[in-house]
Amino acid sequence: MIAPFSHVLIVAGILFALGAFCAVVRRNLIMIVLGIEIMLNAASIVFVAASLHLNNLDGQSFVLFILAVAATEVSVGLAIIVYAFRRTGSFDPRNFNLLR
Amino acid sequence: MPGSPSHTLDLAAMIAATMLPLASCLVILIAARSRPRLCAALSIGSATIALVCSIALMALNSKMGAPIQFTTDFIASSGLNIGFGFLLDRLNLLMIVVVSSICFLVQVYSLGYMAGDSGFSRYYGFMSLFTWAMMSLSLSASLLQLYFFWELVGLSSYLLIGFWYEKFSATQAGKKAFIMTRAGDTAFFIGILVLFLHTGDLSIANLGSRAPLAHLSPSFLTLCALLIFGGIVGKSAQFPLLTWLPDAMEGPTPVSALLHSATMVAAGVYLFARLFPFFSLSAVAMSVFLAIGTISMLLASTMAMVSRDIKKVWAYSTISQLGFMIMALAAGGYFAGIFHLTTHAGFKALLFLCSGVFIHHFETNDVYELSRRGARRMLIPMVSMVLGAAALSGIPPLSGYFSKEAVMGSLAGLADPVWLAAGLTGVFLTAYYTFRLIFILLFPRKSEVSSAPSHESAPHTAPAMALPLIILATVTAVLGFFETPLKHFLENGMIPGIVTGVRVGAWPHMAALALALAGVALAWTEFGRKGAEQIGFIDRIPVLYRLFSERWYIDRFYALLVDLVVDRGLSRLCNLNDRKVIDGGIEGVCGATVESGKVTAVLQTGMVQYRLIVIFAVLALLSLYYYY
Amino acid sequence: MHMEPASFPFLSAILLSCIAGMFTILFIPEEKHRLIKQVSAVFSGICLLLTLYVFFAFNRRVGGMQFVENIPWIPSLGISYFNGVDGFSLPNLLLTGIVFFTGVLTMWELENRVKEYFALYFVLVAGVFGLFMSLDLFFIFVWYDVSLFPMYLLIAIWGTTRKEYGAMKLTLYLLAGSSLILPAIIFLWAKSGINTFSFVSLMHPGLFSPADQKFAFLLLFLGFGILAAVWPMHTWSPDGHVAAPHGVSMVHAGVLMKIGAFGVLRVAIMLCPLGWIYWAKLMAVLAVIGIIYGALVGLRQTDLKYVIGYSSVSHMGVVGLGLSTVTVEGLNGAVFQMFAHGIMTALLFSSVGYIYDRTHTKAIPELGGLSRIMPVASAFFILAALAGIGLPGLANFWGELLVFLAAFKVYPLFGVIAVVTLVVTALFMLRVVQKAFYGPQNPHFAGLKDLSPWLGTPRAILAAVLLILGLYPSLLFNVIRTASVPFMHGLPR
Repeated sequence: MIAPFSHVLIVAGILFALGAFCAVVRRNLIMIVLGIEIMLNAASIVFVAASLHLNNLDGQSFVLFILAVAATEVSVGLAIIVYAFRRTGSFDPRNFNLLR
Repeated sequence: MPGSPSHTLDLAAMIAATMLPLASCLVILIAARSRPRLCAALSIGSATIALVCSIALMALNSKMGAPIQFTTDFIASSGLNIGFGFLLDRLNLLMIVVVSSICFLVQVYSLGYMAGDSGFSRYYGFMSLFTWAMMSLSLSASLLQLYFFWELVGLSSYLLIGFWYEKFSATQAGKKAFIMTRAGDTAFFIGILVLFLHTGDLSIANLGSRAPLAHLSPSFLTLCALLIFGGIVGKSAQFPLLTWLPDAMEGPTPVSALLHSATMVAAGVYLFARLFPFFSLSAVAMSVFLAIGTISMLLASTMAMVSRDIKKVWAYSTISQLGFMIMALAAGGYFAGIFHLTTHAGFKALLFLCSGVFIHHFETNDVYELSRRGARRMLIPMVSMVLGAAALSGIPPLSGYFSKEAVMGSLAGLADPVWLAAGLTGVFLTAYYTFRLIFILLFPRKSEVSSAPSHESAPHTAPAMALPLIILATVTAVLGFFETPLKHFLENGMIPGIVTGVRVGAWPHMAALALALAGVALAWTEFGRKGAEQIGFIDRIPVLYRLFSERWYIDRFYALLVDLVVDRGLSRLCNLNDRKVIDGGIEGVCGATVESGKVTAVLQTGMVQYRLIVIFAVLALLSLYYYY
Repeated sequence: MHMEPASFPFLSAILLSCIAGMFTILFIPEEKHRLIKQVSAVFSGICLLLTLYVFFAFNRRVGGMQFVENIPWIPSLGISYFNGVDGFSLPNLLLTGIVFFTGVLTMWELENRVKEYFALYFVLVAGVFGLFMSLDLFFIFVWYDVSLFPMYLLIAIWGTTRKEYGAMKLTLYLLAGSSLILPAIIFLWAKSGINTFSFVSLMHPGLFSPADQKFAFLLLFLGFGILAAVWPMHTWSPDGHVAAPHGVSMVHAGVLMKIGAFGVLRVAIMLCPLGWIYWAKLMAVLAVIGIIYGALVGLRQTDLKYVIGYSSVSHMGVVGLGLSTVTVEGLNGAVFQMFAHGIMTALLFSSVGYIYDRTHTKAIPELGGLSRIMPVASAFFILAALAGIGLPGLANFWGELLVFLAAFKVYPLFGVIAVVTLVVTALFMLRVVQKAFYGPQNPHFAGLKDLSPWLGTPRAILAAVLLILGLYPSLLFNVIRTASVPFMHGLPR
C-alpha cells in the first residue's frame, strides 16, 4: 500500500466531517441526502483501507453492501423528497415538522 | 331460676308483649299500608295483648322476691359477651303496666283523632314500633340492650314528630329532637363503653348489686354516672338539652301524649331509677343531678307561664315535672320519683288527650282562640282537663297531690334547705301556670265570645276519644289512694341500701299544699275573676316576658353554635381544605406534570437537522470520553 | 393455618360465571337490550347463589382457609393460581355477590350502550371477586388492575356530573396506589428468599425482619389506603362516586373501597404484623381525622351523591380506626363495618339512582317532598341513612360498637372524637332527608311513579340484609371470628 493507513484515515475523517457538516447545515433535503451519502462513502473508504491493512476481505464485502444499501436508500429517499416537493413545493426541512 | 312453669309463663308473656308489636309494625309498614282499618286493628290488637300480658305479669309476680332474669349471649365476639334478654323486677313490672296501658289508650284515642288522615297506616306502624321499643326498653336486661331500644324510641319519636312531613316546622322539630337527644346519647354511649371496659359487665342486675363496682375509684364512678346521665338529660329534656321537647309538639297530639309526656321522656327517669344503686354510689354525681333537675324544673315553669300555645304549656310542664322526678330521685327518694312518674303519666296523658280533642275540633293551638270559640262547652274533655290540671297542681285528693307530697318529703330530708325552697317555688309556679290556662279556657272575655257562633250546638266528642279520657280521669282521681300499697310493693325486696325518705315533720306538706292553693288563687285573680284583664304578672315585665318566651335564649345559643361553629366554622374550613389544599395540591401536581411536558416539548422542533447535531455532539463527546 | 381443599372449585366457579356472563353478553346482538339484561341478571344471580352457598357452607367451627384451590402457574417465579376464603374474605365475597346482583337490577332501565355497559360491569366484578378470593400476591395485584381498568370506561362513558374529570382522577389515584403496591409486593417476594408469591407461605412468622416489615407495611398501607379513601388521599372517592352511573357507584362505594381496606388487612397487616404494630398510631390518627373530616365536609354538600360520598369517607374512617387498634374487637368491628357500609351505601346509591332517573337532578335544594310522590323509594333511602347514622337495629351499629369499644380500649381520646362525630353524621344525614324527602311536594315531580315491585327488589334485598344483620349480627361475627381470633393469637408481641 502506497499511502500510509493513517493518511487514509485522515482523509476519510475529513470527508465524514464534510458530509456531516453538509447534512446538518444545508436547508435543502437533497443536500442532506447528499451529505449522508458522503458520510457513507467516508465509512466505505475506511473499510477498504482497513481490509487492506488487516488483510481481511470482510471489509471489502462490507463496502459492497454499503453501496447496495446506499443505492436503494438514495432512490427511496429521493422518491420521498420528490413526493414531498410535489405536496408542498418546498425542499426546506423546517416545513416538515408535522410529527412534532 | 328459669325452668319452673310459672317462669316459663313469665317468659312467654314477656315475649308476647314485646314481639307482637314488632310483628305488627313490620306487617303494617311492609304489607298492609293500603288497608288502614286492618293496620289500626293490628296495632291496637298487639297493644291490647301487651297490656294484658303486662297485667298478667303484674298479677303473677305481685309477691316476687328476687328479680327474674332470662338472658342469652347475643353478640358473641370474643371479648364481648353481652347478655340480651329480659329482666323482670318490681320496678319494671310497674313500668310496663304504665307503658302498655297508656299505649293502648292512646292508640284507641287515635282512632278518632287520626281518622281520615292520609298517613293513617303509617301512623299505626310507627305507633307499633314505639310500643315494641318502649316495652323492650323497660324489660331490658343489660345496659347495652337498653341503649339499643333507647335509640329506637328516639327513632319513633323522630318519625312521629315529623309525621306531617310536609310541614317544615314539623320536620325541623323532628330533626332537632333527634339531634339533641343524640347529643345526650353520645355521652350515654361513651359511659356504657367506659363502664364495660372497666367492669366487663353491663348486666343491669349486677350494676344494681354494687359488688362488682366496689373496687372502682370514686372519681371513675362519678365520671361514668355523669356520662350515663347525659342520656337521661337528652331523653328527659333536662337542662341544657331541654328545648327539643316544646318543639316536638309539632307531632300529632296523641303522639305528644304518649311519647312526649307519659312514656318516652319518662324513660330517662326510668333509667335513673333502674340504675339508682349505681348512681347513688357517687355523691358528687347525685348532687349534680339534683341541680340539673332543679334548674330544668324552674326554667321550664317560667317558660310555661307565658306560652299561649296549649300544647307547649303542657310540654314545659312535662319538663318541669320530669325535673321534679329527677330531684326526688337525686335526693334519695326512690319511691317518690317513681310514684310521681306513674301519676304524671296518667294525668299528663289526660291533659294532652283533652287538648287533643279541642285541637281536633277547633284546629288551633292558641289558648285564647280556643276559649273564644267555646272550648268550655265540650263537657267531657273540659271536666277531665280540670281534673288533670288539679292533679298537676297538686290539689287533693287527686293523684298528683300524693306524689308531689312524696317528692317534697324527700327534698325536705336533705340537709340543705335550698332544694326544698326551690321545690316549693316549683309547686307554686306549677299551680299558677296550670290554672292560668284553665281559667283562660273557662272564662272567655265577654267582648270576644260574642263572635263565637252559637249554632255550633254542643260540640260532640267521638266515643273513641271520649273513652280514654274517662278512663284516665278515673285513674287520676283514684291512683293517689294506692300510694301505700305501691310503696310497699316497690320498696319491699328492693335493692338493699336505699334511703327511704327520712321522716320529717308535716310542715313541708302543708307548705306545698298552701303554695299550690296560692298559685291557683293568683291565677284566679289575674285570669279567673270577673273583670280580670287576663294578663299575667310576667306579661307586665317586658324583660322577663321576652326572656321566658324566648326560652332563656337557649335555642338561640344552640342555633348559633351549630351555625357559626359547625356549619360556617369547621365544616366550611374542612370543605375549603378539601377543595383548595388537597384537591389544589393534587391538581398542582397534575398541572406541574403538564407544564413540565410543555417545557420539554420546546426541544421537540421536528427539525431533522437539530437531531443530527445532537447525535453528532453526543457521539463526539462519547468518543472523547472513551479516548481519554 | 388450617387449609381445607375444595371438593368442588366453587371459587373458580364464581369467577367463571362472571367471565362466562361477559362472553355471553358479547355474543348477543346489541339491540336486544332486554335479553342482555336478563342474561346479566341470570349470571349475576348465579354468582350470588354461589357466594351464598360458600358463605353458609363455610365451616365456622374449623375456620382457617377453606375452599382452597392451588394450581401452579409459573413455577419458576413461584406464581400460582391459588384461591381460598377465610373469615376476613368471606364477608367481602358475600358483599360483592349481593352488590353485584342488586347492581344489575338497579341498572335495569339503562338504554345507552347496554351491551358494553354490562360486559364491562362483569369484568369489573370479576376483578373484585378475584381479589377477594386470591391467595397469591401476584394475582392480587393483577386482579386489582383488572377491576381498575373497566372503572375508567364505565365512569367516563355512562357517568353524569364531570364524568371525565372524575374518571381520570379516580384512575390516576388508583394507579398511584398500585405503583406503591407493586414494589412492595416485589420487595416482599425478594426478601423472603423462598421464591413464592403464595400468601400462605409468606405469612410464616419470622420470615421478614422487623425493619423490612415496617418499610413494606408503609408502602402497602398507603397503596391500599388510597383505595380505602384514607384521609388525606380521599378526594378521588366523592368525585368518582358522583360521576359514576348508579350501578357502578354501588360497586364503587360498596365494594371497591372495601378492596382497599381488605388489602390493608390481608396483605399489609397479615404479612407485616410488626409493621402494623409500629404504624398503628399513624393509622389511627389518619382514620380519626377521616371520620370527623368526612362528616364535616358532608355537612356542606348540596349534591345528594356528594353527601353519600363524604359519608363514605367518614365510615371508612371507622373501618380504619378498627384496623388500627390491634385488637380482636377492632378487627371484628372493622370487617363487620366493611360489610355493613357496603350494603348501606349500595342501598343509598340504588335509591338515589331511581330518584335521579325520574327527577333528573341530584341537587338537594331542587328536590323536596319526595316522600309524598315516591314513598317506597324514599323509605329505602331513609332506612339506609338511618343505618349510616348508626341506629341500633341496623347493621352498621354493631360494627361501630365494636370499633368504638376497641378504640376506647386503646386510644380513649380518639374514641371520644369518633363517637361525638356520630352527632354530626346524624345532623347531615337528617338534613338531607329533611330537605330532599320531606317538605311540600315539588310540582315538577307530581306525575312521577313510585318503585315498581321489580325495581323495588334490589332495594328490598339490600334493606333486608341491613335489618337481618342489625337484629342478628352473630351471623357475620361467627365467620369473622374464625379468622381474627387465631390471627391475633399468633401475633408476635
